[in-house]
Amino acid sequence: MNRTRPEMLHCLNATGNLAAATSREMSVLERQRAVLKWHQEQLKRRQQRHFDDLNVFSAPLLAQNINGLIDDDGSGLNEILTRPTGMETGRPDFGSKSGVILDLDHSAGHVNASSGYCLNFAISGNINFPPTVVAAATQVNTAVGAEAKVREPTTSERLSVTTGRQSSKKRKAEKSLPSEVDEEEDSIVKKIRGCADEEEPTNSDQHQNSNKNNWNNNSSKNKESNGDKSNREASSCTSKGNSKASAVQKPDYVHVRARRGQATDSHSLAERIRREKISERMKYLQELVPGCNKITGKSGMLDEIINYVQSLQRQVEYLSMKLAALNPSVDVNINDLFAKEVSPACLASYLPTMGVSPEMASQSYLEYNPVETMGQVCVSEGVNLVDASLRRSMSPPVSIPETLLHSSCFNQIHNSLPWELDLQSLFSMEFQQERPINCSLADLCWPY
Amino acid sequence: MENVSQDQAKNNQIRWRSAAEQKTYSSKLVEALRHVRRSSPPDNVSSRGRAVREKADKVLAIAAKGRMRWSRAILKKRLKLRLSNHKKAKDRSKLAAAGNSRRKNLKIEVPKKKRLRPLQRRVRVLGRLVPGCRKLSLPNLLEEVTDYIAALEMQVRAMATLTELLTGANAVAGNVAESSNRLEISRQLEHPPQS
Repeated sequence: MNRTRPEMLHCLNATGNLAAATSREMSVLERQRAVLKWHQEQLKRRQQRHFDDLNVFSAPLLAQNINGLIDDDGSGLNEILTRPTGMETGRPDFGSKSGVILDLDHSAGHVNASSGYCLNFAISGNINFPPTVVAAATQVNTAVGAEAKVREPTTSERLSVTTGRQSSKKRKAEKSLPSEVDEEEDSIVKKIRGCADEEEPTNSDQHQNSNKNNWNNNSSKNKESNGDKSNREASSCTSKGNSKASAVQKPDYVHVRARRGQATDSHSLAERIRREKISERMKYLQELVPGCNKITGKSGMLDEIINYVQSLQRQVEYLSMKLAALNPSVDVNINDLFAKEVSPACLASYLPTMGVSPEMASQSYLEYNPVETMGQVCVSEGVNLVDASLRRSMSPPVSIPETLLHSSCFNQIHNSLPWELDLQSLFSMEFQQERPINCSLADLCWPY
Repeated sequence: MENVSQDQAKNNQIRWRSAAEQKTYSSKLVEALRHVRRSSPPDNVSSRGRAVREKADKVLAIAAKGRMRWSRAILKKRLKLRLSNHKKAKDRSKLAAAGNSRRKNLKIEVPKKKRLRPLQRRVRVLGRLVPGCRKLSLPNLLEEVTDYIAALEMQVRAMATLTELLTGANAVAGNVAESSNRLEISRQLEHPPQS
């Protein structure tokens, strides 16, 4: 640093045109190094000093001093100094600070035509500012250091792009700052750091814009949000207001919005996601399990679900025992039953009796009395149709194992009808009827 | 992510309620039942019943195509049972040879009882009911339960249909046999055999 300083001064003195000189005669790298070293020195020095709230009293004094000095150097400096005030609208003290900031030692050095650069310079020069400003300054500084020809006031955005390169060093410097910082400022710094962390992979200008806005809104934001500092995952680096914090763009993370008035902690967010999942699935189960419309609350619902699953399993047991008992007697039947076609006549006769109430079916179920209710066995490719047909009251038997069929029965079988449509209706009706059966069985099994 | 899982769940629901699914399940079940009939002894109804139940569950799990955890667990159980049966026979022989020394060395620690809240208790119970879901977190468990309930409903429907069909067939067969007999008898009566 020391070696560059005289260099710079020399250049400046020689040319008299600060902006031109610095941009032409010094390489970018040199300037970078110079800036870095200078900042490091500054920070070291300033660590010893106390961090007061100099916003109040130091600024005007220093401003007076420096302004006077600056005038000697030239009007350019004045212009540059006054420009930064326009940038930070939300922080008037900041603006004044920028005016103050020029370090007398290096007033002539590092001055670029860009207001941004000067802003950096100014900000980093004075340690008495809260670390937020320093952080901002350092960020902007490094950016400027890398950029040789920053001219426009809107270069702050561009500066952000290069911030990432040197931000790591700056962050280390920041960390060595004394711990006398306010909580608020600390959180702001962390947020900025967090934002800086994200800048490196993303390098988006938006973040920097939001950074700037953050600096403006930081004080108010901290008060309104729940002030959770460890909020990296759901970072608050948005340019929106205080009501939302969006998630980081990491691929495996779920994007969550922290709602207003709610904790933005990563843990609580994850918990909220989990809770929402659970409630969503419980709602779905509520529709599925019969009789759960009135029940609210997880424990009641769980009880109902448990009971329902148990009843279903018991039904399966009961039916399997039944099937086991039935099995030997219907060796031949099954094959034949599945092979036969449905006779349209049967269908025609079935349809009017469709309206057989579920009680009949459940009766047959419970009483195991097949004769009355299941007079017909109507076979199709699907068993469903058979089921529908089984509910009919007595009607002329249709298809029966060949060995037992009487010739008269066959008459009705081979007519052509569009029975597919009928099948559809039968299926739908059958399914409607199935539900009540399950319910009744469930009621039956309840006392077990 | 949530929306995707919800859609999947709904698709599954529709699948289990469809007639096609029930048809395929029923046909597979019939096949399995035929196997059971042949393999197990006819006199012991209870063991047969259990076998039927297990077969039905297995076929259900196959119908689920291993998409859900409970279906995979059911299928694994079959394999494990068979393997463990073989293993048990071997182990018993080994133990008999080694004597009681092994048992003395073993220390069985009684697990400490946890004070589970009622909600947690219910979650555990539910986990035990659904096969293969004992140590599952609540959101995943609920997903499994949803699918399992739908599958069970289909299973009940199919088996009920099947039983009704069979019993109906029996009854009808019986009736028809009777009626055919009666017809024969009546015919004979009408047309007395001419000597």
